[in-house]
Amino acid sequence: TAVASLQALFQCDHVQYTLVPVSGWQELETAFLEHKDQFKYFVLINCGANVDLLEILQPEEDTFFFVCDSHRPINVVNVYNDTQIKLLVKQDDDLDVPAYDDIFRDEEDEEEDSENESDGSEPLEKRRRFEEEVIERTMKRRQRREWEARRREILFDYEQYEYHGTSSAMVMFDLAWIMSKDLNDMLWWAIVGLTDQWVQDKITQMKYVTDIGILQRHVSRHNHRNEDEENSLSIDCMRIAFEYDLRLALYQHWSLYESLCNTSYTSARFKLWSVQGQKRLQEFLADMGLPLKQVKQKFNSMDVSLKENLQEMIEESANKFGMKDLRVQTFSIHFGFKNKFSASDIVYATTSLMENIEKEGPETTNFIKALDSLSRGNLDKLHQGLDLAKKQLRAIQQTVASCICTNLVISQGPFLYCSLMEGTPDVKLFSKPVSLCLLSKYLLKSFVCSTKNKRCKLLPLVMAAPMDVEQGTVIVVGIPPETESSDKKNFFGRAFEKAAESTNSRTLHNHFEMSIIELKTEDRSKFLDALISLLS
Amino acid sequence: MPVRKHSQHMKLFKNKGKDETTLRRQRVEVSIELRKAKKDEQILKRRNISVHVKEENPSLGQDRADEIIQPSLEEIVEAVNGDDTELQLLATQATRRLLSRHRDPPINQIIELGIIPRMVEFLGHADNAALQFEAAWALTNIASGTSEHTRAVVEGGAIPAFICLLSSPHMHISEQSVWALGNIAGDGPLYRDALIARDVIPPLLALVSPATPVGFLRNITWTLSNLCRNKNPCPPLDAVKKILPVLTFLLQHEDKEVISDSCWAVSYLTDSCNDRIQVVVDTGILPRLVELMDSPDVNIVTPALRAVGNVVTGTDQQTQEAIDAGVLTVLPRLLRHMKPVIQKEAAWTLSNIAAGPCQQIQQIITCGLLPPLVELLSKGDFKAQKEAVWVVANFTTGGTVDQVVELVRSGVLKPLLNLLLAKDSKTILTILETISKLFLAAEKLGETEKLCLLIEELDGLEKIEDLQNHENDVVYRAALDIIEKYFSGEENTDLEPQTGQDGLYDFSVEKQDFNF
Repeated sequence: TAVASLQALFQCDHVQYTLVPVSGWQELETAFLEHKDQFKYFVLINCGANVDLLEILQPEEDTFFFVCDSHRPINVVNVYNDTQIKLLVKQDDDLDVPAYDDIFRDEEDEEEDSENESDGSEPLEKRRRFEEEVIERTMKRRQRREWEARRREILFDYEQYEYHGTSSAMVMFDLAWIMSKDLNDMLWWAIVGLTDQWVQDKITQMKYVTDIGILQRHVSRHNHRNEDEENSLSIDCMRIAFEYDLRLALYQHWSLYESLCNTSYTSARFKLWSVQGQKRLQEFLADMGLPLKQVKQKFNSMDVSLKENLQEMIEESANKFGMKDLRVQTFSIHFGFKNKFSASDIVYATTSLMENIEKEGPETTNFIKALDSLSRGNLDKLHQGLDLAKKQLRAIQQTVASCICTNLVISQGPFLYCSLMEGTPDVKLFSKPVSLCLLSKYLLKSFVCSTKNKRCKLLPLVMAAPMDVEQGTVIVVGIPPETESSDKKNFFGRAFEKAAESTNSRTLHNHFEMSIIELKTEDRSKFLDALISLLS
Repeated sequence: MPVRKHSQHMKLFKNKGKDETTLRRQRVEVSIELRKAKKDEQILKRRNISVHVKEENPSLGQDRADEIIQPSLEEIVEAVNGDDTELQLLATQATRRLLSRHRDPPINQIIELGIIPRMVEFLGHADNAALQFEAAWALTNIASGTSEHTRAVVEGGAIPAFICLLSSPHMHISEQSVWALGNIAGDGPLYRDALIARDVIPPLLALVSPATPVGFLRNITWTLSNLCRNKNPCPPLDAVKKILPVLTFLLQHEDKEVISDSCWAVSYLTDSCNDRIQVVVDTGILPRLVELMDSPDVNIVTPALRAVGNVVTGTDQQTQEAIDAGVLTVLPRLLRHMKPVIQKEAAWTLSNIAAGPCQQIQQIITCGLLPPLVELLSKGDFKAQKEAVWVVANFTTGGTVDQVVELVRSGVLKPLLNLLLAKDSKTILTILETISKLFLAAEKLGETEKLCLLIEELDGLEKIEDLQNHENDVVYRAALDIIEKYFSGEENTDLEPQTGQDGLYDFSVEKQDFNF
């Protein structure tokens, strides 16, 4: 969504550009190498903040990078390079970057030490004797050691956890706003960007609510004229509305029943993988007093009378079943007579398009399609995305159910572990990072609801799925514990690195998310052993 | 990027990653510090001291249990001139401390206080070793400055006092005196000879023994090297003769700095007339110097090579002694040394050997120096290339016809002709003269035409022709001379078609049948 906003901005100013979608570090490097002779300015969106760009890309000195990326922590070299790296960051994002002097040191001191190393030049004619040379030198060396130890500590603290800052789409919108070039479309993309972070569980509830508040102000600024009958806009115009909506995935484009079954929030709380759970769902529907026939048919075709107070009815029953927050603050978009989508609809559709496993041309096709689906003129692509999203959600739900029913989630002590076998239905889908992450998060939520072991409820989860059978690789993802007060900070990135290092496991840290790695299948057990002992 | 500056909104885009508040906090801290520094400065001014009187490293001061209180310059003068030995010591120590800080030692101001004679006087207080030491250190540092500074110390009467202290029972005092005398000797031949006239050498040499600590020995070696240093005039012969046996001893030491400074001392002594070179050669240290030329340490290679290089500037006999010591076996490695300076010095050394009789030139060939020489000519550092050109020039001047043929066979022509593109007229001229000598040799063998062809084949003719446009008149005439003598006339055009025979040139270097 940030890309869409930036494109609109570029278009606005007639800036020529080349758009290259990249899925990982390797592709980023290749793309850079291919374009570095032709271009001097690079804009990195949703990648690049959390590694030393100058180190990995080795750019010429006249090459500049503008980085708009929510990955945190930001690499300190990127932070303090004020010539080649320009970070686009919201001011109120809490970065907690270590102070410059604590992590960088001018090399002057060292020069003084190496001064004695002459290159065969003649001895000095006269020499002055300095104050306690030896003491001074040892003091300096000791201070340096202490400083280095402290630096390691500070950097360890800073880099230990991976998390996400403000959505890039929101930052882009801010940029547009500052330049007085913000459009309602960009605002919608910002909303989708934020909603994506929420759907993928990347930010805290608190951050979500705060950012919703910020966007709501922009929404009312951009859409206020609609309230005035006289000036009301054409029905074709796009309108964004803030609302409390049901957090049931895609329900307006599905049946209520399917949505209840395939939304992680409801399925985990009903425990739908069990007979008991199915029974609870029936009781819930009965409590609402909705006929099963109505619930199971397309939402669009439901009786209008039933739909009128539907939200309130569902909320009331949900409260009785212990689901206190089935309605959430979100936004929806309206255009034309019948087009209404909630922000989460778009998120599900877009991410499904991005990770579509049915190959239709080169890797980047998916990205372009997903990007297209964001613009209003491409309803067919959006609908295709919605269909894919339903498939994906069903696949996730079925996989979650089978993992829980067959006890595939095992406690390893410091974390839970679940590995998908080759041959599991839909396993191919879960070789993709976002789908696997979603699966992991849904699985962990469900597991937490199903287990009676209180200690296990507090554990993070590591999940592995086959990646490339021919190359014998698995994709491994680590996610933080599923607790009420979770800060969504993830320590698996560093832990994976260390575990791989100590066992010489053949891993590839190709994803922009550090907590997703690729691993040789044969190295999996030693890698896991190292991870367990590291985190115990 | 179309990012226009837009009032206060720009603050959203932090280019340094520091947000406003932390930036501001830093600025405040800095300004507080500035103010503090200013205040300190004012206090100092009232004390009539310019700047930085405190220890330069404040954290160092904090770490020490006893905080040092620095008296003012007036207080120093008063105490030094007073009778209280306690205060004398404190003031001398304070002076020494001022003079030993890293940045801007106030040497001039201390001299202006007029306390040097008094400090020299303290050197004689054998009953107060601490005072002697502090005074010696302070005077050492004053003498370490400009010539004027050194003169102030000498005119304060320090020379006899320091020479006397060489024999102090306290090692740190005698070591400090060695250092001070080194600074005085390093000022130039005048003070160097003044020290020698005061008989500094015997007590200095007496300090060298197998038991002397390395640090001390380094100081002694350095001071000795200063006593050997500088020409116009060079140090008195009898002084040199006294020092040389000790230098020979020090050259055997295991400490790199001691060896390095000893080598430098020898290099100073050999940088002189042949008689002086002979004095060094007579000590028999040439084999050791050649051995040190092969050291992995540049700090040793440089002065050892310099010393041997000086020796081969001497007589044929002296050069022969260096050859006998093995210099030609080490030079190939030095001609390929990673440091361009070493390459240059090695080539310079070789050029002087090549200037010798043809027997010595033969030894150059036998020892395999031609391949590294050609390498250096073709891809060495330019300064080294210039020296290599001299090697070739001297070689062609003094070598027999056979030896010159051998030189051409080794492939020297190609890089030599390439160097005609150099910017340096002197080098170009040397090369042109060398080419003329090669033609003289070819004429003797009746192979002039073959040499012409070879030069043409290597694009040399083109370069020589171009040199007729050279701005330097001498170069122009030398080039014209060669063209007129060897490359004019029709026979050249007749010869050209023959050059394609067998696809190879008849007289190409590769075919080995080039014997003019």
